[in-house]
Amino acid sequence: MVVGGLREFALRRSGDGSPALDESNGEELMHVQPSVAVALGSRSVESPGTLYITSRKLIWLSDVDVAKGYAVDFLSISLHAVSRDPQTYSSPCIYTQIEVVEDDEDDTESAGVLELSKIREMRLVPSDATQLDTLFDVFCECAELNPEPVEEEEEEESGHNWVFSADQMVVGGGGEEDAEWQISQSPTSVIGHSNGGDESIAQPMLELRINDQRFDDAEEMVHESETKDH
Amino acid sequence: MLFFSYFKDLVGQEVTVELKNDLAIRGTLHSVDQYLNIKLENTRVVDQDKFPHMLSVRNCFIRGSVVRYVQLPPDGVDVDLLHDAARREARGG
Repeated sequence: MVVGGLREFALRRSGDGSPALDESNGEELMHVQPSVAVALGSRSVESPGTLYITSRKLIWLSDVDVAKGYAVDFLSISLHAVSRDPQTYSSPCIYTQIEVVEDDEDDTESAGVLELSKIREMRLVPSDATQLDTLFDVFCECAELNPEPVEEEEEEESGHNWVFSADQMVVGGGGEEDAEWQISQSPTSVIGHSNGGDESIAQPMLELRINDQRFDDAEEMVHESETKDH
Repeated sequence: MLFFSYFKDLVGQEVTVELKNDLAIRGTLHSVDQYLNIKLENTRVVDQDKFPHMLSVRNCFIRGSVVRYVQLPPDGVDVDLLHDAARREARGG
């Protein structure tokens, strides 16, 4: 199963040419918008086509070329908006950003599928601009239907890895929970003891033994919510 | 649900949302849901050179999972309250 990004899609039902859905997994059609053009990245606009919005993904099928179509899961759509400024783009459209998974290997030599998966922006231009707000709302609904999948282990009470309790780190004194310093007063571990000389001046220093595991180096990443400074 | 409740209280305020792809969008927080999906109004893009297409966008929906930071108005945050609430939630589960 291809994870993430825009991809080609050409599975159509033989009857009405609508896209074949994964109904066994609960995918259903939410909205159909005929007469929609699509512009991928900086490529020129492609039309005419029909936009099918399902509960899982967005599908654009060409009205004239049965082999041409694109699909992207709502899981991969980072952002969507209505774009109306004629100076930025000639027609009002739904502007979307697609989350692209960065590949370590540079596969840009292969044409076709891999290039599609690198597309970061997609514009959908309905010939009927009055439908833009409706389309925007449908996109919102479908995004809400596709939250990040939660892995089973995160459901455990103790499985959560975030560090945000003062019990796990000391920030500015910790309030009512003072650190429990263990101060060793054993004379055998006194440091800074002067060799001979005037002992009334040289006060013996106490060696601090901090055995509390709270002060061990953190093994996990600290949540970054406190580090941004504006 | 702590941050969901927290963001609900911030509706109507100016925030800047920074996405994981480095795009930063400033706007009025219109609404937020339990997945921390965010709807912004009166948006303007902080770095216009990288995403010129965003210039004409005024309202947008941002998927919660792609948000890196939400920058809040300094007087919109009671840091101590939030700190305590987060601590309680982490303990109480």
